[in-house]
Amino acid sequence: MSLLTLDHISVAYDNQLILKDFNLSIEQGQLVSLLGPSGCGKTTTLRLIAGFLVAKDGKFMFGGKDYTRVPVNKRNFGFVFQSYALFPHLSVFENVAFGLRLRKMKEDEVKRRVLRILEVVSLAGFEKRFPRELSGGQRQRVAIARALVIEPDLLLFDEPLSNLDANLRVSMRVEIRRIQQELGITTVYVSHDQEECFSISDRVAIMNQGNIEQLDAPSTIFRYPATEYVARFIGFQNFLHFSERQDTDGEIELTLGSQKFKAIKHQGTSHPDARKGAFRPDDLALTEQENRLTDNVLPGIIKVSTYLGRSYQYAVETEYGEFTVNQEMDTPYLSGQRINLIFPKEKMVLVE
Amino acid sequence: MKKTYLYWLLLPGLLFLAVFMIIPIVLTIGSTLFKEGSFTFAGYLQFFKDPYFLKILLTTLEVSVASTLLSVLLGFPVAYYISQKAPRRKGVLLALAIFPLLTSPVVRSFSWMVILGRKGLINNALIWLGIVDKPLEILYTPVAMMIGMLHLFLPMMIISLVGVLENIDSDLITAAQSLGASRVKAFRKVVFPLAMPGLIIGGILVFVGSLTAYTTPALLGGKQRVISTFLYQNAMTLNDWFSASVIATIMIAITFVVVGLMNKLSNKLNPKG
Ligand SMILES: Nc1ncnc2c1ncn2[C@@H]1O[C@H](COP(=O)(O)OP(=O)(O)OP(=O)(O)O)[C@@H](O)[C@H]1O
Ligand SMILES: [Mg+2]
Repeated sequence: MSLLTLDHISVAYDNQLILKDFNLSIEQGQLVSLLGPSGCGKTTTLRLIAGFLVAKDGKFMFGGKDYTRVPVNKRNFGFVFQSYALFPHLSVFENVAFGLRLRKMKEDEVKRRVLRILEVVSLAGFEKRFPRELSGGQRQRVAIARALVIEPDLLLFDEPLSNLDANLRVSMRVEIRRIQQELGITTVYVSHDQEECFSISDRVAIMNQGNIEQLDAPSTIFRYPATEYVARFIGFQNFLHFSERQDTDGEIELTLGSQKFKAIKHQGTSHPDARKGAFRPDDLALTEQENRLTDNVLPGIIKVSTYLGRSYQYAVETEYGEFTVNQEMDTPYLSGQRINLIFPKEKMVLVE
Repeated sequence: MKKTYLYWLLLPGLLFLAVFMIIPIVLTIGSTLFKEGSFTFAGYLQFFKDPYFLKILLTTLEVSVASTLLSVLLGFPVAYYISQKAPRRKGVLLALAIFPLLTSPVVRSFSWMVILGRKGLINNALIWLGIVDKPLEILYTPVAMMIGMLHLFLPMMIISLVGVLENIDSDLITAAQSLGASRVKAFRKVVFPLAMPGLIIGGILVFVGSLTAYTTPALLGGKQRVISTFLYQNAMTLNDWFSASVIATIMIAITFVVVGLMNKLSNKLNPKG
């Protein structure tokens, strides 16, 4: 059974619905990312879980209890803000101790726990500093320590790395993942950096305008996106809109006008009605040979050719639209040249 | 590159301050320490032995402290409310809040006389409601002075509090709540300490304003004297400029002591921020 369930949740700002009939469930101990473009509702979802926002409709279950109306301060969730939100008038020690003091813990216990967690985030010796005397990365670690020290039942991150430089981002995300796994805390992580999400998550939810398009392991999403939206998000640029689909043993037969295509049936792939074939630019191939008899080929004309360094990128015009192909070669095709475009069946992913 | 020449730009301002403020103050203070050509504290001793003067001093301090404390109590909620509004609403509300500052102290005091007098609005209402059967003595008491001061200086408190409150990131309050603080606790442990600089500045403005105000206590205090009206009496009615200078020096000293104490208090409550 999952630890956290958002069940048909709706959230609105001033009567404008941001999340509509939103569902999400998360297993104990997992790190789940919400990934999506700006304004798609990631922060809103996170704030709803934290209790900063109240759902207009629907139910939020946590650990088998109804949390929909439980106030923020009774939830025992740790929240790491994009702006860190450290208390400027308190030292690092007091910032981290804030939650413990509210729990009426004995002074020596407070001290023990604060010092231990500062060690975990590699900030031992910084207790007496004030937030404005720290670098961005150090502030961020204080924010994490402050959220961790209360031993939260759930940890929530809202783009915690967006203010850091590229190198620090990489080392901090490894750090976050390490701490999360070490302490086994269930975590929801928001970002719009695809690489960041994919590298640290057990599962990633790709969001689009207040909906989750796909929730899967990063490698599954990367190989088998479920929808065109997800596919485009992770770099698929070419789509064939088939008119018919017929499933046989191990293979799928598809029709596009008079042209026949084949696709391989992958294990546990998407919707049985999915009829869009998706390809990355690297997965298509070009050939000058006239092999019209084989399947999965479309004739076309090279429109534009650009040099990418390791390969050439071509825009190829066909009867069914324009396609983008990357191909490594020594002497490039010229624009205007007739060409055959191959859509390898083992590379085709069928999406909705 | 050092831009030392920029310091010359300070000169006109410094000169102005020196000629019209620092020199007169030094001369005033100096004049109180010499009587008949010899250095002496006699002027001050004479005052601090005089029960009449001590009573005036006490009344002044009472009125000033009371109006300062009340301005905090009344000003904080108002300032908090204003600081949470969208910028345009905020402007309108702030303008309303500082409205008392735009009216003449004389007009304002006369309105309070109409409200607080024996046959004034308040007494009439109280008698009509049967709460009292004789009019209360409010006008020409320290209470009346305090009400007048509060009316006059509350805007100062509100402005300086709005200034700090609107700069408190609302995420800080949410953060405190997510760490387990109730709304009240979040206010006490986060909003209040961060508002301390505004509270201190507002407090100093209200206190010093009340301490030195003249028109309001003169009109609402009746025969009740405060230091400023006492000073005026000495200088203008009794033509005793020596005593007036001593009183002025005492006022300056009190102001400095209070500002110093307030700063100490703020450092203690909010070491860095
Ligand atoms: N306080 C608010 N009042 C009104 N609308 C809001 C408010 N906060 C967010 N919105 C709207 O809700 C939608 C979702 O916002 P949200 O902050 O959840 O986006 P996000 O996915 O976190 O984006 P980003 O990646 O830019 O942080 C946006 O269209 C935004 O304009
Ligand atoms: Mg956001």
